[in-house]
Amino acid sequence: MSNEIKEKVGFLDRQMTRRQFLKISGKSLVGLTVAGSMLSLFGCTQEDIDKGLVTTWAMPQGLLVVNEAKCTGCERCELNCTLVNDGVVSTHIARLKLSRNLHIYGDKGMYNNDFTYFPDTCRQCEDPWCGNACPVQAIVTDDRGIRVVDEAKCVGCGACVEACPWHMPTVNPETKKSSKCIACGACVEGCPSGALEIVPWDAVTAAAQDIV
Amino acid sequence: MATYGWAGTILRIDLTTGEITKESSEKYQKYIGGMGIGYRIIYEDVPLNTHPFDEAAEIVAAVGPLTGSSVPCSGRMNFSFLSPFSRGNSIVDAHMGGHLGSRFKFAGYDAVVVRGKASKPVYIRINDDEVAIEDASHIWGKGTFDSNRILTEELGRDYQTASIGPAGENLVNYSTINTSVGNSGGGGIGAVMGSKNLKAFAVRGTGSVKIADPLKVKELNEYMLTELIGGNNNHNVPAVPQSWAEYSAVGGKNRWSGAPGRAWLKAEGGPIDAGEQPHYDMNKIAYRCNKGVFDFGEVSLNYTIKVGGCSSCPIRCYTQYDMDPLADYDLPTHVSNTCVPVIYGTKYYTNGIKDFKYKGDASVIINGANARAMDDLGVWCNYSNLNRDFNWLVTSGKIHEVIPKEEVDSLPWEWEKNGDPRWVVEILRRVAYKEGELGIGLGLGTYEMVKRWNLGKEFYDREDPNNQNITYNGYPKHHANEDTGQVGLLFNLMYNRDCMTHHLVNVTGSGAPYEVSKATMEGFFGPGCYDKKKAFTPMNRNKAKLAKWAFNGKQFHDSATLCNWMWPMTQSPSKERNYVGDLELEAKFMSAVTGKNYTQADVEFDSERISHLLRGMTAISFYDNLGETNLRLTHDAIPDWIFDGEADFEAFEEGATKMDRDDMNLALDMFYEELGWDKETGIPTRATLEKFDLGDLADDLEKRGILPR
Repeated sequence: MSNEIKEKVGFLDRQMTRRQFLKISGKSLVGLTVAGSMLSLFGCTQEDIDKGLVTTWAMPQGLLVVNEAKCTGCERCELNCTLVNDGVVSTHIARLKLSRNLHIYGDKGMYNNDFTYFPDTCRQCEDPWCGNACPVQAIVTDDRGIRVVDEAKCVGCGACVEACPWHMPTVNPETKKSSKCIACGACVEGCPSGALEIVPWDAVTAAAQDIV
Repeated sequence: MATYGWAGTILRIDLTTGEITKESSEKYQKYIGGMGIGYRIIYEDVPLNTHPFDEAAEIVAAVGPLTGSSVPCSGRMNFSFLSPFSRGNSIVDAHMGGHLGSRFKFAGYDAVVVRGKASKPVYIRINDDEVAIEDASHIWGKGTFDSNRILTEELGRDYQTASIGPAGENLVNYSTINTSVGNSGGGGIGAVMGSKNLKAFAVRGTGSVKIADPLKVKELNEYMLTELIGGNNNHNVPAVPQSWAEYSAVGGKNRWSGAPGRAWLKAEGGPIDAGEQPHYDMNKIAYRCNKGVFDFGEVSLNYTIKVGGCSSCPIRCYTQYDMDPLADYDLPTHVSNTCVPVIYGTKYYTNGIKDFKYKGDASVIINGANARAMDDLGVWCNYSNLNRDFNWLVTSGKIHEVIPKEEVDSLPWEWEKNGDPRWVVEILRRVAYKEGELGIGLGLGTYEMVKRWNLGKEFYDREDPNNQNITYNGYPKHHANEDTGQVGLLFNLMYNRDCMTHHLVNVTGSGAPYEVSKATMEGFFGPGCYDKKKAFTPMNRNKAKLAKWAFNGKQFHDSATLCNWMWPMTQSPSKERNYVGDLELEAKFMSAVTGKNYTQADVEFDSERISHLLRGMTAISFYDNLGETNLRLTHDAIPDWIFDGEADFEAFEEGATKMDRDDMNLALDMFYEELGWDKETGIPTRATLEKFDLGDLADDLEKRGILPR
C-alpha cells in the first residue's frame, strides 16, 4: 500500500472509531466487556467499568476518559481551564465541574462519608441541548465539530445553562457571557493523577482493531 | 477595586453591632497578604494587652495575591489573632489548607476582619458581595463534620465551609477550626471564635483572581511541575528506586513514598497502583506522596481509598482511609489527615497497642480514631504537646498527684490496657468539654497547665522524649537543632507558637545524598551553612544568613499564600539541573500574577517587614502583659535539655544533636545582627523599623521604654 493510501485508510479507521464512540459517548461503559488492550489504554480495570466509574467522551483529538476513583479533588483542572481560556482563575466558571462534587453529590461526596468526587465534563452532545436552547444562535459548531460560544452574539441569558441536563455551561458573572467546553484539553494536560485523560484516536483505533 | 493578584477589598464585620463594612486593601499590599495583612491590621486596631477572648480582640482571616491564582500549592489561608495559650498572649496564626482560602478571593476579599461578640451563636455567610451574619443555633454544639455538612446542605454545594467544634465553643485553648476534609488551623483559633459566638465561615465566590500575565503563569506552572517540584515536603528523590531516577532516598524512606507495587487497595473499582512518577510527567505527580506508607508502612494501603489535599496542589499529602475496624467500636471509619493528629495518637496508650486486622495495623487504626475525633471535636494538639503531656502524666505517675482519685478511677482504663480506640476518643472528649481536672488542665495548653499544676521550670528543662518544649512559652520545637543545628533552633525561637517552618527540614529530609544537598545549599548560601545531621559545626555567619532566609521566607509563604511544606523550590528532582531548585520562582510568580515587577530581593524585603512586625508586637505584648523588657532573655530563652541532654556526647561531636550554650549565644548575636535587632534585647532598632516603614512601631516601643538605644 502506498503511504498515501495508508494514510487515507488510517483516517477512515479513526473516523469509524470516533463515530462508534460517539454512539456511546457520555454513557458509562457498564455492561461492556472491554479488551485488555483498551483497558490498558484507559488506565482502568474491567471492575472499574462494571462499577460505572469510567465514562468516556468522544472529542476531536481523542477519547476523553474520566476515572473518578483517581480524582483527588485538587481543582487543577478547573484552575487550568480558566487560566487558559479566560486569562483569570476561577472554579465557578470552569468548563468542567469538580468543586461542586467535592462535598455532596447524590449520596456521595465528603459529607456522606465517601471519598468519591470527580470532574463532570461536557458531553459534547451530537444534538446539543445548549445550542438548541440558545435564543440568539450564539452556540455554533466549529470546524472540529465542537460547539463553541460566539461571545459577540451571546447575551448571557443563561438559557444554555438551564437547558443542559448537567448544567455544564456557566454564565460568567464578570463578563455576562456564557462559556462552555471547547475541548482544548487544558484540564487533561494539568491533571496530576490522570483522572482525566485523552487517548488519541490512533491509539483507540489500534486497540479497537485488536478486539476485531 | 480588584487588581491583579489581590482581590482589592477587606471586609470588616463587627459581631457586637452587626455592622459590615468594606475598604480597599491597597494600603496593606506592602504586607503582601495573609499573615502580613493580619498582623498589620491587629497592630493598628487592637491594644496588645487585650485579652484574646475580649470583644475588642480581632480575628483576621486573610489570603494573599497568589492564593487561588493556579500557582501550585497556593490553597492555604491564614488566621491571625492574639494567642490564648502561649506565654505573653501575643500575636499568632492558624494556618489552614483545603478549599476555603481561594473562595475568599473568588468572592472578592483579601481579608475578613472579625471583631466584637455576637449575642447568640452565629456564622458568617459570604456570597460574593452579599455578606450576612446568620443564626448558627442549630449547629452550635455539633462536631465540625456535621456542622460543615449541614451548612453545605442548607446553602448549596457551591459553598465552602469551616467550623469550630465543641472545644472552640467551650473556650478550650487547644482548639481548631476545621474544613470538611480534615484541614485545620490551630493555635487556639477555635476558642477565639467561640468567645465571639462565631461557629463558622461559609463562602461562595463566583468571581475570579485576575492574572496580569496568564501565559507566563501557565509557563511557570509547567516549569515548576516538570523541573522543580518533588514529593511531599518537596523531597526531591523517590523513596525507593524508580527506573528514571539516579537516586532514591538514603535509608529507603522519605515523603516521595509512592512507588510501583504500592496501590490504593480500597480504591473504588479495585486497587490503583502508584506506578513510577518521572519528574517530567505532570499527570503522575499525585501518586508521589503516599503519606500513609510514610507514616505506617505498606500495611496502611489496606485501608487507603485515595489521596487528597488542598486546592491547586498536585502533591496530595492527605491519605484518605476507610478504616473498617473502627466500625466495631461504633466509631466513624472515614479518616483524612496528614499531620500530627494521624501520627502520635498512640502516645495515649502507655501499655502499647494491638493489631486489628492486619499485622502492624494497630498504629493506623488508633491514629485514625485520634485524627477523626480531634477534627470532629475541634481539639488542637500543639504539635503533639497534648499527646506528650498526657503520656508523661500517666507514665510519671504525676496523674495521681494532680487529678483527684475519683476522677482517675472514672477513666475507662480497661480501654487503655486493651488498645481500644475509644480510649483516645474519651480523653479528647474530656478535653473538648473541659470535663474534670484532666480535661481542663490538658486543654489549657502546656504553659497554663504547668502553672496550674505547679510543675515548675524543670518541666521545660527535663530531658525526656515527652519534652520537646523549645522555649519556656508553651510550645514545642517544629524541626529545630536536631535537623540543622543552630539554624533550625534560631527560627524555632521566633514565634508565639511552634514555628511551622519547613524551609530546611524539606532539604535535610529530602532523601538526596548529603553531598548533593550540600552543594545546592552552599551554592545559594555560601560555605559552611549546611551541616550534616548529627555532625554539627560551630556557628558561622552563613548559618545566620540561612536562618534569616528561612525565617523571612516563612512569613512570605503565610502571606502570599503558599504552602510552606512545599515551598520554596530549593532542590529539584532533575539530574539535568544537578538537583538545584530555583529560589527566585517566588518572585517570578509574584511578577506574573500581580503585574508588579518583583525581584527576589523585593519579595524578601516585604517578608522581612512582617518579621519585624512580629518581633515588635511580641516585644509590646511581653512588656504590656508580663512587664518584661528583654526578649532575648525571656521569649527566646532556651530550656536546659537542649544543652545538657545527651550526657554521653559533647556538642558538635558526631552523633550529637545537643547545642552548646556559648555557641548558641553567638548564634543569637549573629542572627539579631543580620536582622538589625539589638543584640542585648533582641528587639528591632529604630533604624531597622524605619527602613521598613515601621516608624510607628518604633514610637510604640519607645513609649514603653523598650526601644533599644
